[in-house]
Amino acid sequence: MASAPPPARGRSRRLSDRGLAVAFISPAMLLLLAMSVFPLLWALYLSFTDYSATRGGPANFIGFGNYTAILTSAQVHTRALTTLIYVVGAVGLQTVLGFGIAYLISRRTHGRGVLTTLFLVPMMLSPVVVGLFWRFMLDAQFGVINSMLGSVGLGQVEWLTRQRTALLSLVVVDTWQWTPFIMLIALAGLTAVPKYLYEAASIDRASEWFRFRTITLPLVWPLLLIAVMFRAIEAFRLFDLVYILTNGGPGVSTETLSFHIYKVAFLGFNTGTASAYGILMVLVVIVLTQLYLRYLNKLKEG
Amino acid sequence: MQLATAAMLLVATTVAACGDGKDDGAKASAPKAPATIPELTTAPQTLSFIWFDWPPAQALEAFANTEYKKERPNATIKVNTVPNANWHDAMFTQFAARKTDFDIAILDSQHIGEAVTNGNILDLTDFVKENIDVNAYNPYLLAAYGQFPQAETGKRDENASLYGLPLLGDTWTMIYRKDLIGDKPPQTWDQMIAAAEKCQADNPGVSGLAFHQANGSDAAAVTYNTVNGVYGGNLWDSKSRKIDGVLNDAAGQEAMDVLVNKMKPLTAKGSGNWFIDEVNAAVAQGKACIAFNWIAASGGLLDPKQSTLGTTRKQILDKLGFATLPSQKTNLVPLGGMGMHVSAYSSKEKQAEALNFMKWFERADVQKKWAAAGGVPSRTDALESPEFLNAGPFNQVYTDSVPRMRDMWNVPEYARLVDIENTNVNAALNGAKKPKDALDDIAKEQQSVLDSSSRKGGGGL
Repeated sequence: MASAPPPARGRSRRLSDRGLAVAFISPAMLLLLAMSVFPLLWALYLSFTDYSATRGGPANFIGFGNYTAILTSAQVHTRALTTLIYVVGAVGLQTVLGFGIAYLISRRTHGRGVLTTLFLVPMMLSPVVVGLFWRFMLDAQFGVINSMLGSVGLGQVEWLTRQRTALLSLVVVDTWQWTPFIMLIALAGLTAVPKYLYEAASIDRASEWFRFRTITLPLVWPLLLIAVMFRAIEAFRLFDLVYILTNGGPGVSTETLSFHIYKVAFLGFNTGTASAYGILMVLVVIVLTQLYLRYLNKLKEG
Repeated sequence: MQLATAAMLLVATTVAACGDGKDDGAKASAPKAPATIPELTTAPQTLSFIWFDWPPAQALEAFANTEYKKERPNATIKVNTVPNANWHDAMFTQFAARKTDFDIAILDSQHIGEAVTNGNILDLTDFVKENIDVNAYNPYLLAAYGQFPQAETGKRDENASLYGLPLLGDTWTMIYRKDLIGDKPPQTWDQMIAAAEKCQADNPGVSGLAFHQANGSDAAAVTYNTVNGVYGGNLWDSKSRKIDGVLNDAAGQEAMDVLVNKMKPLTAKGSGNWFIDEVNAAVAQGKACIAFNWIAASGGLLDPKQSTLGTTRKQILDKLGFATLPSQKTNLVPLGGMGMHVSAYSSKEKQAEALNFMKWFERADVQKKWAAAGGVPSRTDALESPEFLNAGPFNQVYTDSVPRMRDMWNVPEYARLVDIENTNVNAALNGAKKPKDALDDIAKEQQSVLDSSSRKGGGGL
C-alpha cells in the first residue's frame, strides 16, 4: 500500500490553492464591488434623499417621497405607456421576423452560413451609427425611403416628426437591428431538433404544418422565449436610438422611461429622484423577469 | 450605448458618492478670482476650452494659437468640442464631479446661474475691475455674458457680480432670396409672412420659410421666444417669478398662433426636427425663400462648395440677402452668443493663464483681429470697426441688432425650463399638441419648476 506523498518542501501557506484562488479572484471582485455593487447601494441610499449632484449640500432624508412622486406622476405614466408600446411592438415584430427568417434559412442546405452572416451585420453595428444612418434614410426631405416612395407614386411621409410615425420608426429601426439576434437563437434551436422526429413524421405522412406545429415549435419555443426575454429587457431600457433619431419628439411622443430618467438626472440634476427612478426600473425588470422565468420553468416541466 | 442611461446614472451616483457629502453646495456664490493676474509659468502648458462643435469653435482655436502664442509661446489653446445637444451635460457633469478637464467653460448666458449657485466658476468681479474697461462694451452684452443675477431687461447693474466675459456675440439674421422676393427685405413680421407665402406659391419645390423647430438644445424654444418678443409678449415677470399668466397671456397666445398656424404651413414637410445645420442646408440648396439662423453659424452659406446657389461667393451673394429681423409690435431680437468662464476646479496655474488669456482677448486690438478672423466681438469699438463690418455680409446685421436684443430667463433652473419649452413648442409645431394647450402647459410646468426650486424634497419630474 502506497503511503500519501509528503507535502512539497518549502510550500508556504500563501501559495495554497485557496490562497491562490482568493488572490486571482479578489481584483475582479473588488472591481465589481466598486463599479457595480457600491454605486447600486449608493443609488438606493440617494433614492430616499433630495440630493442633487451639482448643487451639492447635504442629502436630506425624505423617505419614500421620490418613489411616491414617480409612481403618481402623469408624466411617468405617459412614458411608461410609450415604453410598453415600443417594447411590445418591437420585440413582437422581431420575434415573428427572426423566427421566420431562421426557419427559412434552416431549410436551406446551400449558402446557409453566408446568409446567416449577412443577416447578422446590423446587429454588429453601434446603435449610434444605426441611429444616424436611419435618421438620414428617414429624412422627410432628402431621405432615401421617401425618395423610393416618391418613385412609386406615393407621397412623402414625415417619419420622425409625426406622433404615430415617429414611434413606428423607432420600432422599425430597432427591428432592423435586432431581428438577427432572435434569428440566431431560433436558428440554434431549429438545428438542434433531432432529425429522427421529422423522419418519423414523414413515415406517418404528417403534413408540413403538422410537423411545424407539433415538432418544431414546441422544441424551439423555450429557447425563443429566452431570446424574447433578453430583447425585452434591452428594449425596456431603450435610450440611444431615441436620443439620435427623435430626441423624444415630436414633443414627448417617443420619450421612453430611460430617456426621461436621463432628463431628470442631467437637465435638472435631481439625483435623488433619478436614483429612485432607476431603482424602480430595475425592480420592474427583476419582477417581470422572475415571473417570466417561472413560466419558462413550468413550460419545461410540462 | 445600450447601457447609456444606466451608465450615466452610474456616473451621477458615483459622482455623488465621491463627494464628501458636506454642505459644499450651500455656498451662495462662486470662489473669487484674484484681482491681479498671478505670476504665470514659463513651462509649456495647454489651456483647454469646452464648447459645442460648430465653425466658431475651430475659428477660436486657430485664432488663439496664432495670436496668443505670440505673447505666450509656451501656451497652447485646445478647444474641446461636443455635439450641441450634449454641451450642457458635458460641462455640468464635470462640474458635478468637482473636477474638470477644461479650464475655460464657454457657457450660454442662461447657464451662468446654474454654475454660479453651484460654485462651479470663478467670480471675476475684482479681476474685471482691475483689468477690463467695462465702458468699452454695450452694457447689455456685458451683462448677458457675465453678470448674475441678471435682470430680465438685461441692463448691466454696476453693483452686480461678474462671472464671465464675452467671447462670441450672436443673434438671428433673416436670410432672404433676393432673386425670389426682391432686394428689399420685409420690414414687418406680417410682410415677411406674406412675402414667404407668395414666394412659396410662385416657386414650386421651394418652401416659404425655414427656421429652428427641433426639440433638442434650445432650438424650438428660441423660435417661440423670438415670435413672442416680436408680438409684444413676455417670457415671465422676473420680480414675482411668475410665468403662468404672463407667458400665456393674449400676446403670448397670438405669438403661438402666428408661429403654428401662419409660419409652420410655409415650412418644408418634415422640417419639424430642423436646427442650425438643416436650415443652412435648405438655404444652400435653394429650398427656402426666407430663413432664420444664428449669425455665427451662417458663414458656410457663402462657401460655393456647400451651395447650389452659385459657383463663387459673389454669385451666392447676388441671390442671398441678410437683414435684421422684421419687427411687428416690438423690434426685439434673440440674444445668442456666449461668454468665457473660468472653471473653479482648474489648477491655480491654469486659472492664472485663463485670466491672462481673457485679459488679452478683450483688448481692443485683439477684438478687431478676432472680428477679422470670423468672430463676433462684443466691444463697441470692434463692433463698429471696418475689420468687423467688412468681414461678412451679416456683420452689419449683428451691429444693428445689438440695441434690440432680449435674452431668456437667466436662472439656475434654466436647463429644465428650456426643456419644457422646447418639447411643448416642438409638439405644437408637429401637430402633437394644440398651440394653446402647449403654451398653457409650458406656463404651468415652468411655474411648477420655479416654485418647487425653493422647496426641500423630491420632485424634478
